[in-house]
Amino acid sequence: MVRFKNRYVLCEVLSDDPRCRQCIEDRAVGLAVRDAIGRVHGDYGLACCSISFTVKYLNAYTGTVLLRCRKDSYRLLCSALPFVRYLESRAQRYPCALNTLHVGGTIRTCQKFLIQYNRRQLLMLLQNCTNEEERQCIRKSLLSCSLTEEQSQSGDEEDDDGTE
Amino acid sequence: QNTLNVCFSVGYSAVALNHVIDFKEKKQEIIKPVSPSELFPSLPIVQGTTKRIKVLTRLTLVVSDPSHCNLLRSTSANIRLYDIIAVFPKTEKLFHIACTTLDVDLVCINVTEKLPFYFRRPPVNMAIDRGIYFELLYTPAIKDSTMRRYTISNAISLMQICKGKNIVISSAAERPLELRGPYDVANLGLLFGLSESEAKAAVSTNCRATMLHGETRKTACGVVYTVKKPRKVEEEETTVPACKKAKTQA
Repeated sequence: MVRFKNRYVLCEVLSDDPRCRQCIEDRAVGLAVRDAIGRVHGDYGLACCSISFTVKYLNAYTGTVLLRCRKDSYRLLCSALPFVRYLESRAQRYPCALNTLHVGGTIRTCQKFLIQYNRRQLLMLLQNCTNEEERQCIRKSLLSCSLTEEQSQSGDEEDDDGTE
Repeated sequence: QNTLNVCFSVGYSAVALNHVIDFKEKKQEIIKPVSPSELFPSLPIVQGTTKRIKVLTRLTLVVSDPSHCNLLRSTSANIRLYDIIAVFPKTEKLFHIACTTLDVDLVCINVTEKLPFYFRRPPVNMAIDRGIYFELLYTPAIKDSTMRRYTISNAISLMQICKGKNIVISSAAERPLELRGPYDVANLGLLFGLSESEAKAAVSTNCRATMLHGETRKTACGVVYTVKKPRKVEEEETTVPACKKAKTQA
């Protein structure tokens, strides 16, 4: 069967600035990644990677981004991701870093990985909260844990609570 | 300290804190390394496993003169306290000396300038035999475009000589945002001309080998060969029941 094979790259946006989370948009992230590919691989790389390049999924609370590209050029994309230094939106630049979590052939595999990853992150957050934070934070994180348990059973994406 | 926190959250299992000694200034004394317990009351756990993250201390000597190497041979107590020792040679002779005779774990390869010397095969092969690893930094590549060119050209020339063995990629990150996750660093290795398995090894197995090399350098000052054969027979004589004695002696 002749069909186009894609690769879906799951990344996480790390930044110091808490305002950066609010300004994560798909256009801004797409532009930043394209710019990085252009700087590292030049015109050829930029053209190769942007054949089927889109930002498929974005979660501003956790900073999770899912990018799609062709299978032939996913190496160019992956090798250029460490060179993304800042996100630019609304005429403001926020320094950030992209951390690659998983590369998969379909959205479903990336979703499965993301559910496992979020579960682990929630466990870690819960450990920290129970040691230091007050009762309200503990309650919030417990509630968010139970919510996500229900969501994961129904197979949806998990949303992390902004209790960090 | 923020940088270390980001390291842990991104998924590294061992981190080394670097202390650079430059010999241009006179009267350099080697300072005692900052012990990691001062920074963290309790080390956090590696993601996905139950072991604690290791924080090691590392010393980098920037040598531009053969007389600086004497410091390594001196019995200064402070050097022994560092877990990993790295050397940054500036000339070809020093590179040769570092690969063949110096007692170090890593040889740093300059990425911020065009190399003044070309690599030659004999010292590189000797270093590989001795278990010394070559180190490349990736943070200058992220910051600046001209440094990126030098990084890639130096890295590729190193690859052509050493065929991708014994390479460690590390970051000289001063800020938490200059750090990249292990998967990303392995992808950077692809840019440097490594194959995929070699790139992954450059981040994982080679680093662990360097740590072990540092440990053996710290602890083993000499090798004592025990001749095991007669001992084994004695032990077997004492532990093995009588019916088997005939077989072992035969």
